Amino acid sequence: MKEFIEYLTLQIEAGKKDIADLEKSGRKDDADFAKVRTNIYDICRTVTNALINRPGAGKEAVRAQLGRFEKEWSAALDKAREHGDARNVVVGETKLEALEDVIAHFPEDKR
Amino acid sequence: MTQEHALKIFKSLSDMSRLRIVQSLTQGEMYTELLAERLELTPSTVSFHMKKLEEAGLVISRKEQYYTVYSLNRELLKASLLEVAASESEQIDEQQKREETYRQKVIDTFFEYGKLKSIPVQRKKKRICYELIAGQFVPGKVYSEKELNEIIVQFHEDYCTIRRDMISEGILSRNGNKYMLGNDVVRE
Repeated sequence: MKEFIEYLTLQIEAGKKDIADLEKSGRKDDADFAKVRTNIYDICRTVTNALINRPGAGKEAVRAQLGRFEKEWSAALDKAREHGDARNVVVGETKLEALEDVIAHFPEDKR
Repeated sequence: MTQEHALKIFKSLSDMSRLRIVQSLTQGEMYTELLAERLELTPSTVSFHMKKLEEAGLVISRKEQYYTVYSLNRELLKASLLEVAASESEQIDEQQKREETYRQKVIDTFFEYGKLKSIPVQRKKKRICYELIAGQFVPGKVYSEKELNEIIVQFHEDYCTIRRDMISEGILSRNGNKYMLGNDVVRE
């Protein structure tokens, strides 16, 4: 899990740089979406750190929480699409894209 | 043009991505996917920016089969900066403006996609939400309890509480089993 947390930290740092670059080039709204993306890595790192050493929780609990995020955020995105809510469609897609990347880097047990 | 409209124009153009979209559209009509490819943005991000430009009246959209095609509102873009900057303010007094901002904030907090998320506890906020629901009722029309409930339930499942509150607030008036908009209601 150490490598996974390191990966999340790298993404957070890269995200901060993206935000600063976008702001510098006058792309305020795109910078806001980059903040959303960076926040997802931050949230996932916080959840991982909180659950990984908690008695009765651990790695499976982290994976289960990521699954719950996926379900909740997919529902929110469907709702935004249904109502033509342009801002929340971008926010929803950004969150799910980042989460997909987090899940892809989650160290699954070898069977 | 009002000052509020002028502000929307300036705000929507004070973003590099949107400025690049406008620049691309000077070459002709384009659809979302093509703009996304050109500007290296996702289609949904382009749609978001297009919405802002449309709200400012800078672009016009039309549906063409599966695509939404965008073009510039050249008439507006031909206006000189001086003309836009000289636009006049709508005569809304400050107090009225503050109240409208507060009202909108309450609505944004308690409503999501047209549904009331929860019934506010504070009376003032509750009234604002109920007045919005009251907008669904036709002034002067008499409603049966069933008809009334069917309208309220579209906003929140606890239609009984809302119906009772709306009567006690004077938003609705009741005569036996018949209901109509009360005199004490602010209409949009």
